[in-house]
Amino acid sequence: MQLTGSEIIAECLLEQGVDTVFGYPGGAVLNIYDALYKYSDKITHILSSHEQGASHAADGYARTTGKCGVVIATSGPGATNLVTGIATAYMDSIPMVAITGNVSNDLLARDSFQEVDICGITMPITKHNFIVKDVKDLANVIRKAFRIAMSGRKGPVLIDIPKDVTGAKYEYTAQTPELPVNELIAEEVDFEAAAQAINQAQRPLIYMGGGVVSADAEQELLAFAEKIDCPVATSIMGLGGFPSSHRLFIGTIGMHGGYETGKATDNADLIITVGARFSDRVAGDREKFGKDAVIIQLDIDKAEINKNVKINYPMIGDLKDTLSRLTQKTEKAAHTEWIETVAEWSKNSSVTETPDSEQYAHPYHIIEEVRKLTSDDDIIVTDVGQHQMWVSQKYRFEKPRTWCTSGGLGTMGYGLGAAIGSAVAHPEKRVVLFTGDGSFHMNLNELATVCSYHLPIVVVVLNNTVLGMVRQWQKLFYGRRFSQTDPHRKTDFCELAKAFGVRGLRIQNDSQAENVLKEAFASKEPVVIDCMISPDENVLPMIPPGKTVDDMITEME
Amino acid sequence: MEHKQIIGLLVHNHPGVLLRVTSLFTRRGFNIDSLTVSPAGIDGYSRMTIRINGDDAQAEQFINQMMKIIDVKKAEILPDDDSVASELILIKISTQNRSENDILSITSSYHASVVNIGENSITFRASGTPEKIDELVEEVSPFGILEMARTGIASLEKGDKCLNS
Repeated sequence: MQLTGSEIIAECLLEQGVDTVFGYPGGAVLNIYDALYKYSDKITHILSSHEQGASHAADGYARTTGKCGVVIATSGPGATNLVTGIATAYMDSIPMVAITGNVSNDLLARDSFQEVDICGITMPITKHNFIVKDVKDLANVIRKAFRIAMSGRKGPVLIDIPKDVTGAKYEYTAQTPELPVNELIAEEVDFEAAAQAINQAQRPLIYMGGGVVSADAEQELLAFAEKIDCPVATSIMGLGGFPSSHRLFIGTIGMHGGYETGKATDNADLIITVGARFSDRVAGDREKFGKDAVIIQLDIDKAEINKNVKINYPMIGDLKDTLSRLTQKTEKAAHTEWIETVAEWSKNSSVTETPDSEQYAHPYHIIEEVRKLTSDDDIIVTDVGQHQMWVSQKYRFEKPRTWCTSGGLGTMGYGLGAAIGSAVAHPEKRVVLFTGDGSFHMNLNELATVCSYHLPIVVVVLNNTVLGMVRQWQKLFYGRRFSQTDPHRKTDFCELAKAFGVRGLRIQNDSQAENVLKEAFASKEPVVIDCMISPDENVLPMIPPGKTVDDMITEME
Repeated sequence: MEHKQIIGLLVHNHPGVLLRVTSLFTRRGFNIDSLTVSPAGIDGYSRMTIRINGDDAQAEQFINQMMKIIDVKKAEILPDDDSVASELILIKISTQNRSENDILSITSSYHASVVNIGENSITFRASGTPEKIDELVEEVSPFGILEMARTGIASLEKGDKCLNS
């Protein structure tokens, strides 16, 4: 059947099971938006305020569903506005297909209006990208893009399509999508060697990461950890991949992780790394990370082996496969003494909170009150900064895909877009965005989107009126010279929310928290809650960059 | 321990593939000595020969990162003792300081052939291992090198083994 390029795009999206896309129209994608008009009964398009918001929404959609997120933008500035969202997805291995329009073939390479080389720009932040100059290649490129995004270590793929290609006609024949293939590279001998190391270990530790969630391997990990009776620490990205309430779960590992996870890392004789990549925020000192431990690494990406930390037993493959095969090969164990030792350390993990006040609420208190009102299935999204770390420390995640945070790139302004994507994907769930006043200011324009689509997102702004995380570093490492971290903004978030058509509430102190939050959660409307936090709250404990748990900071003035 | 290692790459002959490969060098901090691109003798593929300076772990990481590029079909280290490697040089030497015979006495031992003679210069062509070419350059440099161009390395594994097998 003869279809236009734009109709081919729509048909190929349907082939891939896509029913929701995020985006923003413009000159170079007029044909595509005309097709979306025609296909509006099959494909829902969510219009953002800014392309960056749309890209984060596609990311949040992907994180909470496990499906590939799709975002569409026009050429030039539309395309460049996606860059931060694509880079965020790339760093966290989130599957996404970004479709950008470009100027027509005859205008390419002439610095035409709204022309930009988006393939060149996104080369280092995509798994792959394409420019489709001929309509005959279009369908197969789209199919290939989805396969690449969803195969192996997942990630974003960009397809740039000149305007004339979206208007040209070509024969289209529907195809069933090929399933992504994940090769198992690890061999029988690798499993045997690793299993032997596990069976011999006295003080094993599992260090898990976002790969567990990405591979949907939470059941396999649980079975494995229980069989070998091994404490589980997670990177920020892995939260939700192992139930926080489980007796083996010991919390997050790294810069703002607990004392017990740091001590466990230092004292373990075996570390089993599952879908994690020893980033500098986890392995601050690469040479000393797990200094007495044999290290096993299970990952889908071979390039992660020996990248940051030397690995004794690499095992490459889909975590579902490698974990279950390893579980079969290992003996059932009980590490009671070691688990008790770790539990002892956790008693030293607590940090002193700032004194109660009428003027301010405590971030931990707010997070705990929110947790009382949410179910294990509800979705928690954050922006980036102190609030993000407090949530990662305090919120008790029980299930995978209930957590969206920009772990790798650390993108301030990520949260509201990601919350929109999560809420669109899960109308049955409550979505809570924890943000800070700094992060929220970056992309709060998306409140317009929240209002337009009636998305019942609860936005909790932990408002300390300063750029708290950077300020904390200035306190510690820059002699309290608070350069540009106290913006003296007078934004009234309640009034601002109201202006966007969203309800605004305020929490001035701990005693108001319960009632205000109950009111917010009782309604099925979007709401912004402005929570006043002391500018002097710090994220503790903290391992300074490049250091180990021995240098942990537990107190600050 | 850092040493020179030669890596053979088989890549899909798509636009932008050279940029994809080279942008990884800077992004991942690889130290590149030389890069040669040519047809691979297989339809739709090009062959890249890259010499890097690094230890074995860096070479392994280099290969693993290269293999993540969708357009890279194969990436392998061509082992030093089991490969042949050669490059070509064109070198223009000044004849103002010394006689042509002096120069020829050196270049002939490198099997360099004269390809052009100018009023005050003589241009040679030579080929050989990169080390041999380095030696030649060093020996003739006292005469005054006016300009030179090297092709970079071409390398194949010895025996019947091929990169695409």
